[in-house]
Amino acid sequence: MSSLYERLGGEKAVNAAVELFYRKVLADGRIARFFDGVDMEDQIAKQKSFLTMAFGGPNSYTGLDMRNAHKRLVAKGLNDSHVDAVIENLDSTLRTLGVPEKEVREVATLANSVRDDVLGR
Amino acid sequence: MTLSPGETVLEALLRAGVETPHSCRAGQCQCCMLRAIDGAPPEESQRGLTDAQKALGFFLPCICHPTAPLKVVAPDDAGAPQEATIRAIEPLSEDVVRLRIETENFSYRPGQFLELIAEPGLSRHYSLASCPEEDAFLEMHIRLHPNGRMSRRLMADLRSGDKLHIAGPRGTCFYEGVAADQPLTLIGAGTGLAPLYGVLRDALRQGHRGPIRLYHGARDSKGLYLTDELQALAHARDFTYLPATLDTGGDVAALALAAEAPRAAHTAFFLCGGENLVKRLKRDLFMAGASMKAIRSDAFTPAG
Ligand code: FES
Repeated sequence: MSSLYERLGGEKAVNAAVELFYRKVLADGRIARFFDGVDMEDQIAKQKSFLTMAFGGPNSYTGLDMRNAHKRLVAKGLNDSHVDAVIENLDSTLRTLGVPEKEVREVATLANSVRDDVLGR
Repeated sequence: MTLSPGETVLEALLRAGVETPHSCRAGQCQCCMLRAIDGAPPEESQRGLTDAQKALGFFLPCICHPTAPLKVVAPDDAGAPQEATIRAIEPLSEDVVRLRIETENFSYRPGQFLELIAEPGLSRHYSLASCPEEDAFLEMHIRLHPNGRMSRRLMADLRSGDKLHIAGPRGTCFYEGVAADQPLTLIGAGTGLAPLYGVLRDALRQGHRGPIRLYHGARDSKGLYLTDELQALAHARDFTYLPATLDTGGDVAALALAAEAPRAAHTAFFLCGGENLVKRLKRDLFMAGASMKAIRSDAFTPAG
């Protein structure tokens, strides 16, 4: 059985998803403020590695990286509702791209698996 | 340095004790990026980089298995300074001067920037408005600040024939990876016109066929410059020149956004000017559907 990452189309799929996903996230009033003042190029690179992770592709995310990267945001009030919003945007990105429901749920499960690290719990 | 079989360039560098920033080791984070100044890095090692970066020899050592020798430098290495001779310092407007210098052997793409070193401890970055295929000199547009050290030096002491030093070039704001029939939109304010003028001439020289629009913003009409040249060029070469001045209600960012948003998804953008302008345009054009890869920008913070 090929990996979820391969089934979705590998790096090509990440490339197709990344801008659409980031546009949705920035347009989402619930979470947009966490991206204030960040450099877009930088952020797109980060979205790319996040999606690679969420698709189950080659990545080097460790719990510690996740904690460090989001520390500043947790201090700004990042909580479960924001993680939910991000995953919602991820779902809708994949649906827009025609990804089957089963894979959408697998991606959401993977994204969910870093929730505690992101929120520093 | 010789690589062991199967070893990546990053592994070899780390083994040799060369400090190289890295994180993912999988070609994702791009924090290990280096630049080859001799030899071509394998295509695979340039995965995910922009066309401009590829053209400059940037590559990711963590996924690089070279098949031929490479000479590599750190990504922001500007090389050793070289001597240049001033050919002209002349006013373009009330507070912008054109500086033309000549140097031996300096290869660049119009729109890149260089470091101009007037004396030890006094250097600034300026974008290149000239075209190496057409001009024997390097041209920069420099805003004068009454109390700026560089401004005073340029106006008070330096004359044609004087020597100074330059280093570089750097930057990826040049005509590369744009399809010949794609709409090309250039938006700038103040001396942000310099790189755009370089990119514009480069695009025309390379036979760009898609519609070209150049927006240039300034506080008032005295802040616009090169207007006659641009009008003449627009007439001769069929592009649209759109000057906008704040005192007549022409906020260049608002005007450009309103006009460009509907076609943003297919357009190649070049954005040059102050940081706020560039940030705002970049974000709004992206949200309007422009691909990040199709937006090149150069933001500068003014320093005399
Ligand atoms: S270490 Fe991440 S791209 Fe090379």
